[in-house]
Amino acid sequence: MATTDVQGRAAGGAGGGGQPFVWSMVLPMVRAGLFGFIGYFAAAWITAMVTHTVIVNPLPATLGYVFGLLGWLAGSGIWSGWIRRAFGGEEAPSLTGVERYFQFSSDPKATAVRYVIFNVAAFLFAGLAAMAIRIELLTPNSTSWWLSEVHYNMTFGIHGVVMLLAVAASVIVGGMGYYLLPIMLGARTVIYPRLLGLSWWLLPPAAVAVFLSPLIGGFQTGWWGYPPLAQNSGSGIVFYTLGAATLLASSVLGALNIIGTIVYMRAKGMSLGRVPMFVWGLFAAATILIVEAPATFTGTLMDLSDMILGSHFYTGPTGIPLAYDDQFWWLFHPEVYVFALPAFALWLEILPAAAQRPLFARNWAIAGLLGVSMVGAMLGVHHYFTAVSAERMPIFMTITETVSIPTGFVFLAALGTLWGGRLKLSSPVLLSLMAMMNFLIGGLTGIFNADVPADFQLHNTYWVVAHFHYTILGAVIFSWLAGLYWWFPKVTGRMVNEFWAKFHAWWFFVFFNMTFFPMFILGIEGMNRRVAVYLPYLHPLNEFVSISAFFLGAGFLIPAANLYFSWRSGKKASQNPWGSKSLEWHSPSPTPYIVFPEGSEVTVVGPNDNYADGAPEPFVWAPTTAGK
Amino acid sequence: MAVENTGSLMDPAPERAKRGAFFFPMLFMGIICAAWDLGRFLWGGMGVPKGVDFKTGAVLTVIMLLSMGPMLGARGKLSRGQDKAALGNFMLLMVIGIVMIAGIIFTWGAVPIATGYGGIYDATSGWLGLYFVAVTLAFLASIMKGKRVPARFGAERWVAHNVVSFWGFMVLLWTVFFIVFYLA
Repeated sequence: MATTDVQGRAAGGAGGGGQPFVWSMVLPMVRAGLFGFIGYFAAAWITAMVTHTVIVNPLPATLGYVFGLLGWLAGSGIWSGWIRRAFGGEEAPSLTGVERYFQFSSDPKATAVRYVIFNVAAFLFAGLAAMAIRIELLTPNSTSWWLSEVHYNMTFGIHGVVMLLAVAASVIVGGMGYYLLPIMLGARTVIYPRLLGLSWWLLPPAAVAVFLSPLIGGFQTGWWGYPPLAQNSGSGIVFYTLGAATLLASSVLGALNIIGTIVYMRAKGMSLGRVPMFVWGLFAAATILIVEAPATFTGTLMDLSDMILGSHFYTGPTGIPLAYDDQFWWLFHPEVYVFALPAFALWLEILPAAAQRPLFARNWAIAGLLGVSMVGAMLGVHHYFTAVSAERMPIFMTITETVSIPTGFVFLAALGTLWGGRLKLSSPVLLSLMAMMNFLIGGLTGIFNADVPADFQLHNTYWVVAHFHYTILGAVIFSWLAGLYWWFPKVTGRMVNEFWAKFHAWWFFVFFNMTFFPMFILGIEGMNRRVAVYLPYLHPLNEFVSISAFFLGAGFLIPAANLYFSWRSGKKASQNPWGSKSLEWHSPSPTPYIVFPEGSEVTVVGPNDNYADGAPEPFVWAPTTAGK
Repeated sequence: MAVENTGSLMDPAPERAKRGAFFFPMLFMGIICAAWDLGRFLWGGMGVPKGVDFKTGAVLTVIMLLSMGPMLGARGKLSRGQDKAALGNFMLLMVIGIVMIAGIIFTWGAVPIATGYGGIYDATSGWLGLYFVAVTLAFLASIMKGKRVPARFGAERWVAHNVVSFWGFMVLLWTVFFIVFYLA
């Protein structure tokens, strides 16, 4: 279909059109790391010398982080790929081959693939932190041979921040959303592709800083960073606040692209009612981020300001510690829906194709996604049950419980689609169904957290730990794997090994439930969360949980190996192996660099999930007029 | 005519889209400033404490309001395709941006950061200062691009339009800041 030489050269697939990989292509990433390292230590040492202190103190660490981040970005290729050009300098050639995966690039597909690799790495390290936590909890007492209580606090703080902001926040939105968003809308790219490229390059320094925070004293606050504990723990809290702010900034850059692309770059004929469900899910999640992130973002900076500039926002004579809680939960409870909404939408994208049935109650499902976004945006309030007057509690409780109504629309749409369908139970479908089951348990147990009398009993116990792991690990990560398997052929041109994919799905489901369901019982039995020490009568159940968790964690080697070997030598995929009507399957597998070459354009004449017998094809291709 | 540049081929969004979607980053930046502005009443209470440098604040506000003139002029010239003439306005607005950054730093000496009002004043004005740094650099980039590669400047005029819109947005943000921190 390529109409020019340029397109012809760029029409290669994920492998760069046959261009072989050579190790020198990795050099920009090595250069970025080196520049970041030099930037960090130069700034930290100079600041320490000027202020007559040591480099692990908050101010040198802060400036070190800022200059380290700038150095990392400078080394990433952002200068030649964006800045130099913006100032009227020489225009770097567009990267269309394998090299675009290893340096700053404006191609959203390359950005998305980098997201996947980053997410896998972050999940591995944060998962290892979880294993460390469970080793500690094998015994009721603090075990000196493994982690001290101080190190235990650091470990679960790191686990929480990285799993939430570097994994859950971007696994579906980043790795799949940024790849599919333009393609599903019939566009070649997103509205601001360089900003999207930048969003990925913000992630590694932030995650590395959080992981390395113990080197400068760590932090004792968990993933919340609550003052005044933040100010009284090690300097590592600086890396926490800066890392969290950077990860949020990265999410927002993506969210701006999502909304701008949906509003302005839909294909001809794609009215809002015909926008694919997965895109609706991305939109609903992005809306929460745009509206709610500022309060939390400013909170992290104000927390930092108290530590390095001498302000008193949360501590000291004019400090209001509870204000930080307000700002923190303003986004970070709704953030759960930033994770979950794309997962919901992913089910609604996969299930109609798998069942070959039209999506049931499509408009209600869209209303459900937007309703969860709107109601979910207010859910931070239920974190104040212990801090507000009795008069406000029923209001906060009602707001929180209301979110179950639009969530119900999503579930009913999914179940109605399956009803009477001829479901092909492939691994992505199996994982989607498991994710729905897990989220159902997570959601139902959440009602108890939203209920004031029950919450006073369950608050701060392992019940809460079980609840949010069911929603995030149980729903989001299961859905992530489902999406990876579903779109793997589109990205790599090969199929995932179905046997091992299903084997791991069942492994994951069984050990996930064996790990986290007993935590509900532990919570009811009175086991506090966030502590390394617990009462001896809770020991047997904790031992069971820990052993199950080790199996659960070890099981992730299966999809890692399966994805790698399927990519290297899996069965070649056809253009549309699932029989989906969605637009991304109209291009060859793997997706060419230029998805929709000049010469023809698409017109959308119906929703992409109408699989009813005799339903017309939703997309009509026609030759473009000259000059387009 | 087929596109012969891969970058352009991959980024075919029309000017309307590039300019229209710029509303969303500005919306986000505005919400951040609204969060800071609201914080002024939480940490600074009602009323303006003694010692606040009202004179400098008022002068900076007048400068910003007057900058609407060159800003609107730049917009008109860009719309008429008079790119070279618009660069003169850009230069003036860039200088005003530098004056604003210097002015903000100057006002920090008037109120100590350790007080409730001083802390939120410094944080909010510092954040606005970062926006001024960004818009000043954006003007510099546009000026350099306009002089070095005028054809590319013209082909990507949406960038210059967005920089001008950003400045107009800064006028709004600064005016609200002045009302909230100096008058309310």
